[in-house]
Amino acid sequence: MDQNVENHERLEKLEGIGCSRKRREDPRFIQGKGNYVDDIKLPGMLFAVMVRSPYAHAKIKSIDTTKAKAHPGVHAVLTADDLKPLKLHWMPTLAGDVQAVLADGYVSFQNQEVAFVVADDRYVAADAAELVEVDYEELPVVVDPFKALLPDAPVIRPDLDGKNVGAHGARKHHNHIFNWQIGDKDKTDRAFSDAEVTVAQDMHYPRVHPCPLETCGSVASYDAIRGDLTVWITSQAPHVVRTVVGLLSSIPESKIRIISPDIGGGFGNKVGVYPGYVCAIVASIVLGRPVKWIESRSENLTTTAFARDYWMSGELAADKSGKIKALRVNVTADHGAFDACADPTKWPAGMFHVCTGSYDIPNAHVSVDGVYTNKFPGGVSYRCSFRVTEAVYLVERMIDVLAQKLNIDKAEIRKRNFIKYEQFPYLTPLGLEFDSGNYMPALEKVLEAVDYNALRAEQAQKRADPTCPTLMGIGITTFTEIVGAGPSKSCDILGIGMFDSCEIRVHPDGSAIARMGTISQGQGHQTTYAQIIASESGIAASQIAVEEGDTSTAPYGLGTYGSRSTPVAGAAVARASRKIREKARKIAAHLLEVSPDDLEFDLDQFKVKGDPAKAKTMKEIAWAAYNNVPDGMEMGLEAVDYYDPPNFTFPFGAYLCVVDVHKKTGETKVRRFYALDDCGTRINPMIIEGQIHGGLTEGFAVAMGQELPYDEQGNVLGGTLMDYFLPTSMETPHWETDFTVTPSPHHPIGAKGVAESPHVGSIPCFSNAMVDAFAHLGTTHFNMPYNSYRVWQHAKSLGL
Amino acid sequence: MKVELDKSLTLPVAASTGWSLVENIEGMASCMPGAKITERVDATHYKGTITVKLGPATVSFKGELEVVAIDPVARTIHVIGKGADTGGGSGASLDLNAVVKEIGPDTCELSGVSVVNVTGKVAAFGSRLMGTVTDQLLKIFFDNVLAKAQELQASAPTAEVTPARAAAPVVEAKFNGLAFVWTIVKDFIASLFGRPKTG
Repeated sequence: MDQNVENHERLEKLEGIGCSRKRREDPRFIQGKGNYVDDIKLPGMLFAVMVRSPYAHAKIKSIDTTKAKAHPGVHAVLTADDLKPLKLHWMPTLAGDVQAVLADGYVSFQNQEVAFVVADDRYVAADAAELVEVDYEELPVVVDPFKALLPDAPVIRPDLDGKNVGAHGARKHHNHIFNWQIGDKDKTDRAFSDAEVTVAQDMHYPRVHPCPLETCGSVASYDAIRGDLTVWITSQAPHVVRTVVGLLSSIPESKIRIISPDIGGGFGNKVGVYPGYVCAIVASIVLGRPVKWIESRSENLTTTAFARDYWMSGELAADKSGKIKALRVNVTADHGAFDACADPTKWPAGMFHVCTGSYDIPNAHVSVDGVYTNKFPGGVSYRCSFRVTEAVYLVERMIDVLAQKLNIDKAEIRKRNFIKYEQFPYLTPLGLEFDSGNYMPALEKVLEAVDYNALRAEQAQKRADPTCPTLMGIGITTFTEIVGAGPSKSCDILGIGMFDSCEIRVHPDGSAIARMGTISQGQGHQTTYAQIIASESGIAASQIAVEEGDTSTAPYGLGTYGSRSTPVAGAAVARASRKIREKARKIAAHLLEVSPDDLEFDLDQFKVKGDPAKAKTMKEIAWAAYNNVPDGMEMGLEAVDYYDPPNFTFPFGAYLCVVDVHKKTGETKVRRFYALDDCGTRINPMIIEGQIHGGLTEGFAVAMGQELPYDEQGNVLGGTLMDYFLPTSMETPHWETDFTVTPSPHHPIGAKGVAESPHVGSIPCFSNAMVDAFAHLGTTHFNMPYNSYRVWQHAKSLGL
Repeated sequence: MKVELDKSLTLPVAASTGWSLVENIEGMASCMPGAKITERVDATHYKGTITVKLGPATVSFKGELEVVAIDPVARTIHVIGKGADTGGGSGASLDLNAVVKEIGPDTCELSGVSVVNVTGKVAAFGSRLMGTVTDQLLKIFFDNVLAKAQELQASAPTAEVTPARAAAPVVEAKFNGLAFVWTIVKDFIASLFGRPKTG
């Protein structure tokens, strides 16, 4: 009994994998003690503001900075001409294109960066920015990617004149970026020719923005004496930023220090390198003083990295029983004025080829065309892995379209097409190997929890009643995500494989510090990484400090986005911990004078097999590591691991949503949302719950209101929080969550990643529910976002 | 954003008098609340400014006007303009075709078709207000043109000059901002209930 109590106490103290350990980050955040980029204040620091173009497409005839420079308190006004001698007026993008740092003779989107004003404070800089006189000559604007491909469409990128081959192959038009295809086209076309039933649906995934609470910004500080450059920056990938800055500036990476302090949300918005960062660095080098540049909310919403803007045409071929034979997809991808997507180098449409979803589809073919328009650049993964939200949206919508055509229940058609448990690992027709999944029990658990049959009966009753003021819609998604980019054989950024890293040092007192190449933006890495180390090495989580985001101390890593921290860095953490444990085993054997093989690891100590009284705790071993190690062994107790994953991980989920839509006003109430997620091994259930709530809320935001529309003159109309929907607790529905556990077979602890599944899975679930509400009236699809006006318009078009 | 305006106004003056109003660019500009011609570059080129209050923000545009075509016989005029706000955040362009048609000996109709393109902050932030604000500006503009026309009519040689002048409404050089905002608010509230806009 005493032994059990003691074991339980040890386990509790360890706070390892599976514990709902409270977030270590929260005490500082809830007390307002976080340290964000805009909190950085350095002696002599100056502040910068961008001068931006009001026009979406214009020639710059002249820029007169005289008045701005003469304004009291102004230190410098940079234009492209100032950057030219440094060859910094253009910079490479992560997608193999180039982007103007400051407009070089023309602007190609509204709010494009034209000049950079550096002054004593942000107010003086803002005043002086208004004194920069730019003479523009307006040019015709194109914001529609289909019109951009017409023969006589305006040339958006004169700098690419004559370049018929881009970073991803041939360009077929002056506004064309790439065509990317995957899958067996002939076999897929044949399957369609032979099919008993085919369906087709066009859909637009609107241009949205991750809209993190903290906008982007940086503080650059160049020390001319030492030749060191330090940049505090809101970056999800600080090491990648260091490499880019090194490439641009020719300063060796050893002289560059990038620090990502606390970050107020990223969601993909903070992966890239933006003109403001480059200008702040140049200004600091030129002026010899630190320079801070922080975006306004509208600058964030209209210039730094949008997401999606995918025009998708999906087709399914099936037999009469609803068994799918083939999927065919054509996408026109609006990338804006510069191709600044954040995707692995080889995949210009990211992992869109996960679009066969949770279904056993034998044939598939995908073709994606990237197009330039007069809109701001981006194409990042907003709370998802590269283009996975788009892919999941497509297949989850298409299967509903097929169900409606065949009059098969939307849960039943999914069951008929699921990849079966015994088929894993499953090779998709588009070349991905799904590691593990168990879809049927997940869906059945959800259907039972919500009493699906009763919901359908209620819906039928309401449809039969013409006096019912509302339409009831039931949406289902059974999605599979692909995360954890990724294996270096297929994934790299700027030629660097997408591994990640962990370094652990155990101190003489048995406490430890761990550093990673990732960077938390709210995911709770300081909490969860320590739990992995605790379980794997026996050091209590409370004794472990986790540090990220400083390139001068952390090992090189590719950063945090695409739910890659747990699948990639989490694996490095587990493996580094195991290296610590194995060295500790040898030291314990030496101390206990037995063979290492005679020891067994038990939570936080090594015990001699068959003689458990003889044991050494990790604390004792750590002390010995600095004074009493076996002959020939190095002193100290530390380990480094760089983990190159053998495959991606494939979290999945089954979601169900019930909506009530008012026929006359279009007002929609989300009555119920039930989300079951399977992310493999669960490291911290409380953090998982929080991540799922966050992801569902952002999914709700996208489906029900977020959009960055443009008018024909290229004005972006969603650039304030008055126009751009950011749900608060007032609008957000109640979430019900559930889980199953299907570990990843190739991940060291079986974990798959979770933060993005609820976003990816919920958006099509809302769409499916909204379409389902109108399905009996013949609706197979209508586009997001489902604000009351749009829904009312749709209801009206049906004569309601 | 693009605003297309197609408006007409009946003036209680002879077509020739109406035309004399239209061809006087400075005079016409002074009828537009917040607008003025600052420089006459030559017979067909002008420089001017216009200050517009859009909700909580005030924007001042500085620009150029060009009379592309003018036909005193047919009484038509084609004017194009282009400007930018003084802070550099917005741009605007105008393409206006106006004609004065004779209706009777003492009555004519002034009609104008114009396309206004607005870009930048004004379009991005003020799009919801643009329609109502434009309607209100035009309403005041027409009131002012009408007043000027009446003034011209009154000062015609056949009329009794002094009393008529006294009777003619004074053209407001500065329009009443508060009343203007109130009309916009009233229109907005009316639009919520689906009633047609006033003015």
